[in-house]
Amino acid sequence: MDENRFDEVLRDLPQSFHNPPEPPLDEMWGVIEDAHFNSPASVSRPRGMSSRASWLAAAAALVIGIGIGRYAPLGRTVEGAGASPFAVVSNESLPPGADTSAVGDAYRDQTSRYLGQAAALLISLPAKDSSSNADATFAGKAADLLVTTRLLMDSPAAQDPKLRSLLEDLELVLVQVARLRGGKSKEDLDLIHQAVEQGDVLSRLNTAVTTQSSE
Amino acid sequence: MNETQLIAQVIAGDRLAGRALYDMHASRVYSLAYRLSGDAEKAREFTQDTFIRAFSRLPQFRGDAAFSTWLHRIVVTIVSNARRSEIRFAREVSLEEAHSIEVTAPEADPDLKECIARAVENLSDAYRTTLIMHDIEGYTHAEIAGILGVPEGTCKSRLSAARAQLRNDLAAFKE
Repeated sequence: MDENRFDEVLRDLPQSFHNPPEPPLDEMWGVIEDAHFNSPASVSRPRGMSSRASWLAAAAALVIGIGIGRYAPLGRTVEGAGASPFAVVSNESLPPGADTSAVGDAYRDQTSRYLGQAAALLISLPAKDSSSNADATFAGKAADLLVTTRLLMDSPAAQDPKLRSLLEDLELVLVQVARLRGGKSKEDLDLIHQAVEQGDVLSRLNTAVTTQSSE
Repeated sequence: MNETQLIAQVIAGDRLAGRALYDMHASRVYSLAYRLSGDAEKAREFTQDTFIRAFSRLPQFRGDAAFSTWLHRIVVTIVSNARRSEIRFAREVSLEEAHSIEVTAPEADPDLKECIARAVENLSDAYRTTLIMHDIEGYTHAEIAGILGVPEGTCKSRLSAARAQLRNDLAAFKE
């Protein structure tokens, strides 16, 4: 096939490659309407979020909250922050005139530390086979990071669109790493590396780590 | 009522607003899902999942990007995850089963359309998604970059590499 013919092939792709039929709009809407508007649970909670996951998220929130409490510099304690970690995390819950810079600094520290850990995990993922023990170690670390990822996605840190987009991609990758089990490592690792490559995740992580540390 | 107002109404539980928002985007979402999956039934399921997920996460939509960008990001993610699961499943098919499939497969020279479909399927996920979105569905590089969360330059280089691989795979085809 010569160049001209190939150009023609490219031009014809919209007609020749998986040309879609008319979408069954009403049929699809029926399912969507039923799932979303007729099921209160699906409105208030993302699908797949089990009660166990909610419990884990709450536990992790506590850990992050304690971490932020530790990192907030002495003498810059936020007045009226209350006992809940989210009261510390969210600027909106602070009284007017409160010093929010300590919260901001603490949050940046936590995010920066998390990004560093995520980068370290992805860099250390083996390219091919690994032992079952190694898989279990990676899976465990990924599961821990996954909880933090989801918390950060619902936190003020995710107001930065670039960071939010990175967190969403990291969530997908970490879900796959967390499922790593011995025996099927090669296929799973290939898929994980593909996901990392598709989202340009590592270079975005490096940029984010640099940005967070320099702020 | 504009899109922002519709979104607020959907969050409040207004199903008519939901339908209006759906009507604004469903055709394009379905079209992309079909191009990426090549199967009408899957495209339908992916479109449904996209809107169900999008509606349930609407309170988290902050409007940093356009709603359509956010929505298309969800459909691309859903299709990619499904494809990865399919690939994983296919690799788990035993050699014996694979052999029997091979034996019963019809032996015929594939036509150009079939060769193109196969060549596009052989592209890596990142290349394939970029080629389908740009050359087939007509998204701009800026749109694709926003949806995939990568820089525009990455998007352009992926498209160029995808076309080169496609050209290479089709080079041997004789009509």
